[in-house]
Amino acid sequence: MTLRQFLLRRVLLVIPILFGITFITFMLVRVGDRDPVAMLAGPLADRQTLATLRTEMGLDRSFWEQFAIYVGKLIQLDFGKSWESNNPVIVDIANRLPASLELLLIAMLIGAAVGIPVGLRSAQRPNGAFDQAARFVSLLGFSVPTYWFALMGIFIFFFKLGWAPPPMGRIGLDAIPPPDVTGSYFIDSLLVADWSAVHSSGTRLVLPVLIFSVIVAAPIIKHTRAIALEVLSSDYIRYARASGLSPFTVRRIALRNAFTPVLTFVASELTGLLAAVSLLEFIFAWGGMGQWGLNAILNSDFAAVQGYVLTLALFSAVIYVMVDIAVLMLEPRSALKA
Amino acid sequence: MSIRSALLSAVAGAALVGASGLAAAQDRTFIFASVSTPVGFDTDRWLSGTLESAVNVYEGLTKHGVKKDASGRDVIDADKVEPHMAESWTQTEGGKVVTYRIKKGVKSHFGNELTAHDVVNSWDMARDRKLVGNFMITVGRVAKVEAVSDSEVKFTLGTGNNIFPRILTTIFPALIDSKIQKENATADDKWATKWQEKATAGFGPYHLESVKAGEGATFIANRNYFADKPYYSRVVYREVPSPATRAALVKSAQIHYADQMPIQQLVDLIKDRNVKVDSVPGTGAATLRMNPNLKPFDDIRVRKAVQLAFDYEAAGEAVFRGLGERSWSILAPAHGEAYIESQKVNTDLAAARKLLSEAGHANGIDIQLEYTDNWWWEESLAIQAKDALAKAGIRVDLKRIPRTEMNSRRAIGKRDLPFFPHLANAFVLAPAYAFYLSAHTQGSSNVNDYKSPEFDRIVDEMIGETNPARANQLSHEAQRIHANDSTFVISHFPKTYAVTVPCITGWLWYPHDRLVWKHLSCTERRG
Repeated sequence: MTLRQFLLRRVLLVIPILFGITFITFMLVRVGDRDPVAMLAGPLADRQTLATLRTEMGLDRSFWEQFAIYVGKLIQLDFGKSWESNNPVIVDIANRLPASLELLLIAMLIGAAVGIPVGLRSAQRPNGAFDQAARFVSLLGFSVPTYWFALMGIFIFFFKLGWAPPPMGRIGLDAIPPPDVTGSYFIDSLLVADWSAVHSSGTRLVLPVLIFSVIVAAPIIKHTRAIALEVLSSDYIRYARASGLSPFTVRRIALRNAFTPVLTFVASELTGLLAAVSLLEFIFAWGGMGQWGLNAILNSDFAAVQGYVLTLALFSAVIYVMVDIAVLMLEPRSALKA
Repeated sequence: MSIRSALLSAVAGAALVGASGLAAAQDRTFIFASVSTPVGFDTDRWLSGTLESAVNVYEGLTKHGVKKDASGRDVIDADKVEPHMAESWTQTEGGKVVTYRIKKGVKSHFGNELTAHDVVNSWDMARDRKLVGNFMITVGRVAKVEAVSDSEVKFTLGTGNNIFPRILTTIFPALIDSKIQKENATADDKWATKWQEKATAGFGPYHLESVKAGEGATFIANRNYFADKPYYSRVVYREVPSPATRAALVKSAQIHYADQMPIQQLVDLIKDRNVKVDSVPGTGAATLRMNPNLKPFDDIRVRKAVQLAFDYEAAGEAVFRGLGERSWSILAPAHGEAYIESQKVNTDLAAARKLLSEAGHANGIDIQLEYTDNWWWEESLAIQAKDALAKAGIRVDLKRIPRTEMNSRRAIGKRDLPFFPHLANAFVLAPAYAFYLSAHTQGSSNVNDYKSPEFDRIVDEMIGETNPARANQLSHEAQRIHANDSTFVISHFPKTYAVTVPCITGWLWYPHDRLVWKHLSCTERRG
């Protein structure tokens, strides 16, 4: 199989997956007697108004008709219109996604930058003091719910110590948000060298990012340690040691062999974290896509929920394709063979 | 950063960008944290934050008087309607024609003066759109609205009635600056509803300056407001969805007001010296409603048995944490002399079992209670009901359903829920309106489909009754009929709470249950 065929096959595989997710989501949001018309029209609307609105929104059509119309529009990149905001869903997502990515990517970078070396170091001396401490931190990150971690963080660092700024969004009331370029207040403030906005948005990033980094780092530590332990106990490493190679060289060989599974794991974790970040956004009033998605689910905003789930699915698909490409570049023979 | 430093910075920021037309010395910012950023400002379309904002942007031609209650606090006087944007009115043809004279100098933020044409335009919009405003047209029996001159507007009513003057105290329909509205109308959208999602043009005390989805909105004082200038010239409406975060923010004086706090947080906040928690019972009581058209609730003995088996004391303690106030009627005590304690039901398990046995359910009965999360107390009240009713042999199967399913099944034309929690809040402080809303055959909150021709007849008569003594007599009768039919398990008023920093004074409860910013001020300096 050539590289081109490999990539084409990966991209084509994404299409039925997305179609399946679209169908399941479309069906699930309509389970039961959910009907947003009563909420949209308000509690005092009469019967005729409810019926008119239902027709206008296409909710009087059959499930299959509605699904066919939806898929037809999706092909033209029309995700529909949110009944709550009255905006095209794609516009709402575009407005909210940068805030989520800002939080997610920075936390991911920190989590991986800490988690991978800690996992590798733990694996060098299993059950040593460092390993025990790392495993405790990892267990903590695993077992403590995100929202509790966030609330405790706010209680200690904002409420008790006063070190963190108020958890009221991405920028302070005293700062003027920078012109929208990337959607990240921090980066956009840097771009226009607005130091007051840089400080305001930067300080507001610290606590949620640190909390999320712990959540992100915990599984990375655990998996990196397990992968590294497996690699370090492999025959080729024992052979390398027996051949008298220096510990540094042995570690380098081990690292190179552990890198691909670690990268695959980190990437797969990233796909799940975009959904997980919603709780953190809720608590820190972050205003990102997760918070928007939660709200859409609560209000049965059909188009918005479908758009949210589809965006998560697309995000995952893109990440997996990128991982495949990265693995292909790192290990071309084994990847193409697989 | 404390409120004080935030205010200073905000003032500096506002001055820099020229955001406020008021002198810097008068600039004061009020920070209001709520669950969600206002999604729209159209009072015909209630979305997140719409009413919280709109009650501060729009006002009525009239207003309710304010009186002192027994504790010396200012409260709305249900019986008194006073001039507001209208300076006077006259009634002819036995109250069927009412002409309002609009005050001179009532202007929007854009400088346009309120005219009779604005009023007509707003009512025309309500009639055309057939949403909330249209319900007011129906219940107020408004047949025609005409501009007699620029400053006089004539309402012709189907029948003279006592609900109509009170409707004019509300923002339904909202009086919009029609010049601005028309500038923003399009061929497809003649009422500029799209524009109303992101903008306001009222004659009330505040005007929307900016809104950003997911973050919040900023309101500034209407620079042309005709009445007293509000103390706060700027209101920052911040989205803080987590109640725990809102609690931490108000405790640390980072915000002035925490909106929609759940009971668990309130119990703690009441004990906190850094927070002031004020409350009023309001007009909406937490109820469990039984649909008398569906089995087994078509048998009044079963309904009465459910009422008697419910443990009101336990609900007061476990659900409302001792903060609620027991309710004894379909009507609230806020309605003054129109109110009587018509449904004095207390727990009596023996009587409940006896009634069930008489109804042919000697071995008990299985019922389903469906609930959602429209109100914070729903789930705990449902659990409490399950536990209490089991003691009388009423086995309750709890079923949690999505909010949209609940709302659609309660809507006019469907109403197929046998047993479920509900709370109806009457925005118009008139007993006839409350009855019409909650239990009249045409009432939009008659969600358990209660049908009583006698009750309807009395309510219809009440609407047209302008003699207060007779109206009160009818009100008492209506309450008795409704209580005898036993379709509500009436628990407690969950109450409306104002959670503020201690310096805030001037909170005045309105029937719409939203915070009115113009009355607020800060009476002490905080560090």
